[in-house]
Amino acid sequence: MSTTAEHAGGIAGHIHPEPQGFIRRYVFSIDHKIIGIQYLITGFVFLVLAGLLAEIIRTQLLHANGGFVSNDVYNEVYSIHGSAMVWLVVIPIVTGAFGNIIMPLQIGARDVAFPWLNMLSFWIFPVAGLMLFSSFLMGAPVAGWTEYPPMSLLGGPGTSMWAAAIFLVGVSSTLTGINFVVTMFQMRAPGMTFTRMPLFCWAQLATAPLLMIATTALAAALAALFMERQFGVPFFDPTKGGSPIMWQHMFWFYSHPAVYIMVLPMFGAISEIIPTFARKPIFGYKMIAFSSMAIALAGFMVWAHHMFTSGLAPYLQLPFMILTFTIAIPTGVKFFSWVATLWGGKIHYTSSMMFALAFVALFTFGGLTGVFLAAVPFDLHVHGTYWIVGHFHYVLVGGSLTGIFASTYFWFPKFAGRMLNETLGKIHFWLFFIGVNMTFLPQHWLGSLGMPRRVPEYDPQFQTWNDVSSIGSYIMTLGILVFFVNVLVSMRNGKKAPPNPWGARTLEWQIPSPPHYYNFKHIPTVFGLPYDFSQPLPYKGLEEELTDSPVHAGAH
Amino acid sequence: MAVATLPHGAAAAHGDHGEVDQLYVETRALRLQGFLLFLVSDCVLFSSFIFAYLYMRNSGQGWPPAGINHLDVAFAAVNSVVLFGSGATMHYALENWKHNNFGKYAFFMIATIILGAMFLAGQAYEYTNLYFKEHVSWAGSGIFGAGFFTLTGMHGFHVTVGVIYLTVLFLQSVHGVYTKDKYFGLTAGTLYWHFVDVIWVALFSIFYLI
Repeated sequence: MSTTAEHAGGIAGHIHPEPQGFIRRYVFSIDHKIIGIQYLITGFVFLVLAGLLAEIIRTQLLHANGGFVSNDVYNEVYSIHGSAMVWLVVIPIVTGAFGNIIMPLQIGARDVAFPWLNMLSFWIFPVAGLMLFSSFLMGAPVAGWTEYPPMSLLGGPGTSMWAAAIFLVGVSSTLTGINFVVTMFQMRAPGMTFTRMPLFCWAQLATAPLLMIATTALAAALAALFMERQFGVPFFDPTKGGSPIMWQHMFWFYSHPAVYIMVLPMFGAISEIIPTFARKPIFGYKMIAFSSMAIALAGFMVWAHHMFTSGLAPYLQLPFMILTFTIAIPTGVKFFSWVATLWGGKIHYTSSMMFALAFVALFTFGGLTGVFLAAVPFDLHVHGTYWIVGHFHYVLVGGSLTGIFASTYFWFPKFAGRMLNETLGKIHFWLFFIGVNMTFLPQHWLGSLGMPRRVPEYDPQFQTWNDVSSIGSYIMTLGILVFFVNVLVSMRNGKKAPPNPWGARTLEWQIPSPPHYYNFKHIPTVFGLPYDFSQPLPYKGLEEELTDSPVHAGAH
Repeated sequence: MAVATLPHGAAAAHGDHGEVDQLYVETRALRLQGFLLFLVSDCVLFSSFIFAYLYMRNSGQGWPPAGINHLDVAFAAVNSVVLFGSGATMHYALENWKHNNFGKYAFFMIATIILGAMFLAGQAYEYTNLYFKEHVSWAGSGIFGAGFFTLTGMHGFHVTVGVIYLTVLFLQSVHGVYTKDKYFGLTAGTLYWHFVDVIWVALFSIFYLI
């Protein structure tokens, strides 16, 4: 009591009454948990849509001569598939959804710093998503998710719509980034120093500046593309003095950090899940925390490794190659720390833990092929082939999406108040795990043999492995369907979740599931790291959280 | 900085009045940091376009491009002085507000708004000259037109927003929205206005000096 009373006058003691009425509670809510759930639902809806586009691609590639959709439609399909997966599924879910739901709870705050801004960030996102998909109605972009000029200058009117939609998603990301940085700098519970902050929050802290800075650089590129397409302002058209290479610089200056936006938060989630189910303190807490920052920083200095075949000066290739190699060091620090955490632990094979272990294996594979790609001679050989497609799907599906599933199984009881079904979870896991490897592993072989990406038809010699890949993608999709069935069934009929079903030690597990509107009756005081499983909990002031006592700390 | 490090018992000692003040102190810290981060991301937006312009300039077609006469540096320099002068008056406006000197505050605030509007008028004059006399346009003059009109246009848009913003702030202060101790809106307006000044230093340098 005495530890919280002294803050009764500030933000920590300031509790707004819960809004009544459906609209203010569930639609235009300013509660970070509701906004996070809104992000999650919207992200999963876009996952279904973009996943259907992926299945159109794989069905087309079942036969060497294609024939499922026309070549023009095929170009539109893979362009929107990539854009939607990156900007409407992975980034909003890993930052907007899990960042919003979990981060304020873990730092012991009542909400994010700017709840109204948070609501604005969210509502921009579905609007932008609808704009992106509506580009199909007017001639969708055809130059892939990277939209390199001059192809993107020639694409249908939907390309301008694409640019506007991605610009809006970028605004949403930027606002979220600002919100998260201020929240984590200013609103941590008493005693929660940066070196006592849970690793998921560290990962969000590394990601938020990327959202804020890199996304703005992309906004400039998109604005320039929009102006060139709509008003003829010569930025990228070489015949008018512009430079198509400049788009690639501007695009990758954002999109390489975006790779880390998509995976750093999931590194953080895995760092929570592995110690919880291995029942062991995380190995190398500070090293994992600082390596996130190192990855975020280094992510800004490697963009031109996407451009080794674009006519980059040879003297620039070497520094970009070496800098890219160095990113493997902080990433390796994380992986060895996770393995060391597992070593000698008492591992509980829950669905969440299975996905976390799959994340470690699959992301290691995708990360290693990334080191291959950083080597200029090898990159020159496989650039623009299916090898690249295989590589980035291992990090995005095997990494980010697997991490999203691991996080959903882990935190669903907390924010939904119901347990997910473990049997369906295991079925989901095995279908998904087998599907991912069957889909994307053969693509490396296809790429090494020389099959280019983004083609609707191919040489018959590639038929066998393409069929394996397509069948794998159907298995993966089946797994994801099982997941959605699991979520829908468990939401209504799942077992009621206790406050702390996994025996985890971070702050969000010490309060009821789902948490109250105000999160904590009293803001607790923190005395140590949340990972020492042999010790008593390092918190004070949580005694009343699980009782029926009314909330009174400075409420008005 | 964090909630945790605020002086213990500071609020409790002053009763209700103190509680509100502590809430203000803490939310002011949040808003200040958030606003500064917004300016950082805005700065990245300008930096990206500046990078793009300089990149195109140096991508080997010779500079300056044929058919573009030099810009009127002298006029732009005078116009820059107007803008920088408005930065100075903005500074004095905020200082006078802090010292509870409403008359001088009002004088300097109105001066800032007028100087900002004068800068915009100067820019409009310059655009008209370029378009009708020199036949330099946004879309029709290669990378120079694209870079110059995009960047100075973005900056002009920021100044326009700033003039409206400062006018709103001034009207709010007249209607007693801000007090001697609680004036974060004015601080934010001042930061924004200085930011717009600093961006102009960069733009003036790349377009008129180098």
